[in-house]
Amino acid sequence: MRVDWLVLGDFRSYHSLDWKPEPGVNILVGPNGAGKTNLLEAVSYLATLRSFRRAPDEALIADDTDAAIIRAGISSDDRERLIEIEIPVKGARRTQVDKQRLRRTSDLLGVLRVVAFLPEDLDLIKRGPAYRRDLLDEIAIQLWPAAYVDQAEFDRALRQRNAFLKSGHRDGTTLDVWDARVAQAGGKVALRRARVVEGMEPLLGDAYREISSSDATTGISYQSSWPSERFVGGSAAEFTDGMLSALRETRGTDYERRVTTTGPQRDEPVLELDGHDARVHGSQGEQRTMALAIKLAAHRLIAEATDSPPVLLLDDVFSELDPKRSSALAGALPGDTQTLVTSARPDEVPVVGVVWSVDGGLLRE
Amino acid sequence: MFEGPVQRLIDELARLPGVGRKTAQRLAFHLLTVEEADARRLSVAIADMREQVGQCRRCFNVAAGEECAICRDVKRDADVVCVVERPQDIVVVERTQEFRGLYHVLGGSLSPINGVGPDQLRMAELKNRVEGESIQELIVATNPTVEGDATAMYIAREFKPLGVRVSRLASGLPVGGDLDYADEITLGRALAGRMEL
Repeated sequence: MRVDWLVLGDFRSYHSLDWKPEPGVNILVGPNGAGKTNLLEAVSYLATLRSFRRAPDEALIADDTDAAIIRAGISSDDRERLIEIEIPVKGARRTQVDKQRLRRTSDLLGVLRVVAFLPEDLDLIKRGPAYRRDLLDEIAIQLWPAAYVDQAEFDRALRQRNAFLKSGHRDGTTLDVWDARVAQAGGKVALRRARVVEGMEPLLGDAYREISSSDATTGISYQSSWPSERFVGGSAAEFTDGMLSALRETRGTDYERRVTTTGPQRDEPVLELDGHDARVHGSQGEQRTMALAIKLAAHRLIAEATDSPPVLLLDDVFSELDPKRSSALAGALPGDTQTLVTSARPDEVPVVGVVWSVDGGLLRE
Repeated sequence: MFEGPVQRLIDELARLPGVGRKTAQRLAFHLLTVEEADARRLSVAIADMREQVGQCRRCFNVAAGEECAICRDVKRDADVVCVVERPQDIVVVERTQEFRGLYHVLGGSLSPINGVGPDQLRMAELKNRVEGESIQELIVATNPTVEGDATAMYIAREFKPLGVRVSRLASGLPVGGDLDYADEITLGRALAGRMEL
């Protein structure tokens, strides 16, 4: 899977850009503020319809213009597709694939898949559990686009249940109904996370050992706030049943605290290094290596499952690593994958690729 | 700004859904230039509608008398009631010409975020009807949203114990559609809601 060409109009610092990246490794070099990350952000937006920096859509539109445009030609296997997105200052975003308007966001997912690594991702292990949950959910969407709808429904149903608890009403039938809806979507969300974790487990160990040049062992497991004995090999229905009974059991506590105290919103993937919790026992270097290994494992998992390696986006990652890890990461990068790397200093990037210089919104070889 | 009465009308028109400032101005000046009788007919039509049209006391559809045309129609099957969120939904179901029963308008769907619980919907009124009429089956036609689903589930839990059948509209594939082109979410729902042949 790769981006054959990218056209930007009034997107962040780019008023007009027409770029044809190479199929292999592309190294974007330029001073800070030159717009390197903006390019990666545009590519990522094509895959996920949101900014990987979590910026609101308005922030993507160049100052004093009416709309940002992102257009790209994507090829995957023998298939070529055209994605066009217009983000206007006023009104709704318009998205087309092959000139057909999309009925909903989820229809775009899977046309382009990316795995992005940003400098803040290096802190993935020590940040709050929400970041690691999001990571699993994002991988799930790339593997199974329908996961997007289940995640949105789960969030909505959970907000409704919490609003009901907050209202202070005690009405068993109404709570039963929200329990059922939360469990129905929540069971699917948890099942997909557990499947992602299962798939990542062996890949994570390999990636970790490659980057660290050690024989360390790693583990990843899905730790649930609600007891279910069938996290390995369970079906969506079993997950939903497990969650439903957990919600019944904590009903008293939930009424009292006026919030849902159990469910996927409280779960997290637990990462282990040589048998110990990596959050507590890992050194900063080990935690960063683990974070890199997770992203590489995600890339390999999606590549295996979809038969087409996602585009890899590495934003200013090498400058944050010591030379040893930096060159080990370079060695562990997947071949046969379109990779976009940004750096302020090309001598810090230990990979071979086509170098583009980025300055003032223009690109040249 | 225009002369007082003109500006007042523009302001009122601009409050209507889908009408912006410019359209409101155009409509106001149009009404100023047409025959006076034509303009007056519009104002009478609005006043008459507000005066004569209210809610059907039985199903809460819009009605020009105490009961709506559907409830008054003796040829309709009073054993089956289709439960909808809004009166507009009745028009959609009627257009299919597949349904010959009666309706019940809930007035929305369960949404604690917006402060809507069963007491804010016409659930008690539905219960009175189930207990007082000959209703055998409720067909729940709420929207396929998280809130619509929850409302349907609530109705099932409240009314099945009273001995009525409760069913929900199936969600599935568009007619004439090719399986090839169905998106996986719609197809997934259609699979989950499959019927035995």
